[in-house]
Amino acid sequence: MLSNEKIIDELKQRLLKAEKSEDLFEKQNQQMIEINQKLADAESLKSHFISNITNEIVNPFASILGLSRNIISAKESDFKKIKIMAELIHSEAFELDFQLKNIFTAARIEAGLAQPEIIRTEINQLIGSVVETYEYKAEQKQLNVKFSFELDEKLKESVFFNTDPEKLRLIISNLLNNSIKYSNAASRIELKGWIEDNLLKVMVKDYGIGIDKNNLEVIFDRFKRLDASIHSHNPGHGLGLSVSKALLDSIDGTIDIVSKRNIGSVFTISIPEGIANEKDGFALDGNEFIFDTNEDEIF
Amino acid sequence: MKSFSLSEDIKTHYLYPSALFADKEPYLVDTILGSCVAVCLYDPVLKVGGINHYMLPLWNGNGLASPKYGNIAIEKLIEHMLSFGSKKENIQAKIFGGGEVVETATNMFRIGERNIETAEKLLREFKIKISGRSVGGKKGRKIRFNTFTGVVLMKYIEKQSE
Repeated sequence: MLSNEKIIDELKQRLLKAEKSEDLFEKQNQQMIEINQKLADAESLKSHFISNITNEIVNPFASILGLSRNIISAKESDFKKIKIMAELIHSEAFELDFQLKNIFTAARIEAGLAQPEIIRTEINQLIGSVVETYEYKAEQKQLNVKFSFELDEKLKESVFFNTDPEKLRLIISNLLNNSIKYSNAASRIELKGWIEDNLLKVMVKDYGIGIDKNNLEVIFDRFKRLDASIHSHNPGHGLGLSVSKALLDSIDGTIDIVSKRNIGSVFTISIPEGIANEKDGFALDGNEFIFDTNEDEIF
Repeated sequence: MKSFSLSEDIKTHYLYPSALFADKEPYLVDTILGSCVAVCLYDPVLKVGGINHYMLPLWNGNGLASPKYGNIAIEKLIEHMLSFGSKKENIQAKIFGGGEVVETATNMFRIGERNIETAEKLLREFKIKISGRSVGGKKGRKIRFNTFTGVVLMKYIEKQSE
């Protein structure tokens, strides 16, 4: 015979078990709801993304076509006007070129076609040329964005580093583009490059609007822009940072962000030196694959 | 006698992590695997093949939807095979990698194991037969996949950086 106490104990334990499984069920349910929400978000962001991209491609083209038509029909005496229009065409085309580069790079990464192409690269020159291409844009926004181009002593001379120059160029372009975009008027941007513990470091620092702490985690998300309204003053579709992150991944690099709302952001990338592949597509570790049908396992 | 005399003049390709390779032309595709998993798909009727090399099991919606993630990498690879004209029922799969090569805190996440699970689960869902495998364990692997014959040569390696 079971005593009443034993029965009560048993009942208590069973109740506890039931509660536990209910908890687990609740938890899983919550996860389901979260995933569902994510899917719904992705869907709406996707359509938003397409309308954004349409705007960003169609509008600049319309301006370029209109402006160039004006130039064609302008009188030779209107040189000043022509120059202004040429400048506008340049900045529209510059923006377009940059956006398309990001879009095509994203497409290549998503198709699994992005391969690191490690070449001996002169870092000083590479960073310098990226800064140069943005000088006009910085001026154009009348932000008085000043580049204090602080390169380390070591980098003042020619410094060679084995890395993928095209990927590095796009990463730095994105960081610089963002810092110009989110800078306040009459502020400055600092760009610094140095080598530390065999890592190439590039820092881009702005004194702009900054990023909220709780938003720091989502800035690499595709389609994500913190200010996602269509009427936002800042153009772009939030692809830049997710492309940069994926490119850094492919060359084993990392990115570090320190940011404070209304104070500014510091983005620092660290990239290890790659091994230059003499022949495209060979073993990373330098050892040749030696396969021998007698020795190796065959599947 | 080597099992594939074609290897003398066949093109080679080194497959990086997060990348994917599929071509109608015959290729020898080399890759190095630690906790990453590579799925080799081969169609013995058309004699074409493709291979991926993914690092993490599932895309969680963050960042780009690249073949760094198993679910994306496997789906994309199957799409490639179908675009070559392969019939799903003819496609064979071989899976490699997923070793727990790093004895650190990452073991907690059982990345290798979860990568293997993803391959098995998705291939089952797509009803693609797994005709060969060498997965798990503590060692890294080097593999060479012949996309023309479907043969995969494999070597264990001690040190693994991925």
